Amino acid sequence: MIFERNCLLGMLAAALVAPLLLSNQYALHIGVLIMFSVMLATSFNLIVGYVGEFPLGHTAFLGVGAYTAALLSTRFNTPFHLAALAAPLVAALFGLIIGGITLRLRGPFFVIVTLCFAEVLRLIANNWIDLTNGPMGISGIVKPAWAIAGDVLQQKIAYYYVGLLLASVSLFVSYRFVYSNIGRAAVAVRENRLVAQSVGISPFHLGLVTFVLAAGIAGLAGGFYANYVSFVGPEVFGFSFMITMIIMVLAGGKGTLVGPVVGAIIVVLLEEYLRDFKELRFSIFGLIVMAVVLFLPRGIMGFIVRRHEIYVRGASTNA
Amino acid sequence: MDLFLQLLANGLVIGTFYALSALGLTLVFGLMRVVNFAHGELYVVGGLLGWAFTDLVGFNFFLTLAIVIFSLAVGGYLIDRLLMERVRGQGEEPTILLTIGLSIFLTNTALLVVGTAPQKVLSPFASKPLFLGPVVITQSRLVLVAISAALILAVHLLIQRTTLGRSMRATFQDSMAAQLSGIRTAHVYGFTFALGAALAGAAGMLLGSIYVAQATIGDVVSLKAFVVVILGGMGSFAGAIVGGLILGISEAFWGGYMSTGLVDAIGFGLVIAMLLVRPYGLFGKQAERA
Repeated sequence: MIFERNCLLGMLAAALVAPLLLSNQYALHIGVLIMFSVMLATSFNLIVGYVGEFPLGHTAFLGVGAYTAALLSTRFNTPFHLAALAAPLVAALFGLIIGGITLRLRGPFFVIVTLCFAEVLRLIANNWIDLTNGPMGISGIVKPAWAIAGDVLQQKIAYYYVGLLLASVSLFVSYRFVYSNIGRAAVAVRENRLVAQSVGISPFHLGLVTFVLAAGIAGLAGGFYANYVSFVGPEVFGFSFMITMIIMVLAGGKGTLVGPVVGAIIVVLLEEYLRDFKELRFSIFGLIVMAVVLFLPRGIMGFIVRRHEIYVRGASTNA
Repeated sequence: MDLFLQLLANGLVIGTFYALSALGLTLVFGLMRVVNFAHGELYVVGGLLGWAFTDLVGFNFFLTLAIVIFSLAVGGYLIDRLLMERVRGQGEEPTILLTIGLSIFLTNTALLVVGTAPQKVLSPFASKPLFLGPVVITQSRLVLVAISAALILAVHLLIQRTTLGRSMRATFQDSMAAQLSGIRTAHVYGFTFALGAALAGAAGMLLGSIYVAQATIGDVVSLKAFVVVILGGMGSFAGAIVGGLILGISEAFWGGYMSTGLVDAIGFGLVIAMLLVRPYGLFGKQAERA
């Protein structure tokens, strides 16, 4: 817990000073993507790591958040801070409805039904042309004043710090949640459902609370993304965001808060680095997923945390 | 009334095809408790191999079908022995992730090799329409329905009547007891996955002669197969057939009488409704495990 908090605070400090050292547009663009990915990975990890189920349709909430922000901005001229508040709220509402239905199921059924919901939402976004403009998507999302002030570099810096703020808020909420009674109960359910039930924990309600929180964070990420790229299309519901979320959380280490952050940084950098390979990079991603499952089932942070625990235990027995 | 009959016939034909394409999935789930998320990609590989051999090389349709079934079976056996075996007994999540990784790899590698263009498996059957009273149906579809039915029957007999099938069922019921009575369970798992992969490939090639074989359709095929399997009950053979027919008919009627835009959402709607009412499908056995 303390180890994890110190890791997160160290990362926050590094992220705060990073733009001073790397002040060029490209690096800052990658920084913004990392912030977005951190939010996504944190949200996905709450369900995978703490509820122990695998929501393959988690892009539903990303998409709902993105479309909410986009529609509010283009139809009602809502300013960014209100749209950024509304996006997670609407996504959380969807999380309540979808979670209420899907969390009755477990294992493969849960995986497939969440996927069905994301797919239905994608089809609606594709076909309800009056609302969503269909496959053309919604463009021309109004950017706030701070995002169009100054030159391009200053705009990127502004987005970077707003992204950092939102990612920090997401992580802070997750941290408080995970180390609250609810979070500990969720871990109990994940580890042994029957024992947890026998001490009076209701797995369904716990799962639902976590699901709604995760949906809200994904919606926040979606709203931020929509405003940053200023365009939303049905592909936000698509499978490619899902793939990156899976890899970030698994490679980083599910069930820890630092893991997905590390995973998000690695995956964004790797994606940029592998850009030269074009289509080949997705094949490589597939291989990475398989390799992680086979050889590093607890992810990078799982590995490090375990080393750390062994180290601490060793130190205490020596003393 | 004529429209009704025509839609019903279309639904039945498409439903049979859905049943065929879901057969491998339900088999692997029923016997191995593995949800194969790479099912659609194996289907795609079958379709693309079928296209390559019939169109590029110029082999006969049935020879190609045999080649496709054989190579997919070998591929499936290797996948099981090299990948799935390492995570067996660790619960559902690692296998789900492993097959998701496999599906990402297969889709994108297929995209690299053949590109996004839709291809067609050359079929010896004419697409000449046949008139059965008020109903019109093409000859090639009718032949394919017959082949599908024969394949489904053959797999059913394989599982119910042969020694291999018996050892598969024994392994599924109690792998320890099966091992004690001399069944080499590692091989049985491998053969089961091989059979599932071969069925997926065969479905991909057969349907590639009517529709298209394309690198990117794997997701859609997987999703439809999931819908069929959940409607019928995971692991149930009869369930897969009934599920396929339900999906085919409801899609045909929705497309015919309502709108074509959201026709793909029907299946998902059915699944969501089904899981609320009867989470184990029409034919599934209630098997809650602690």
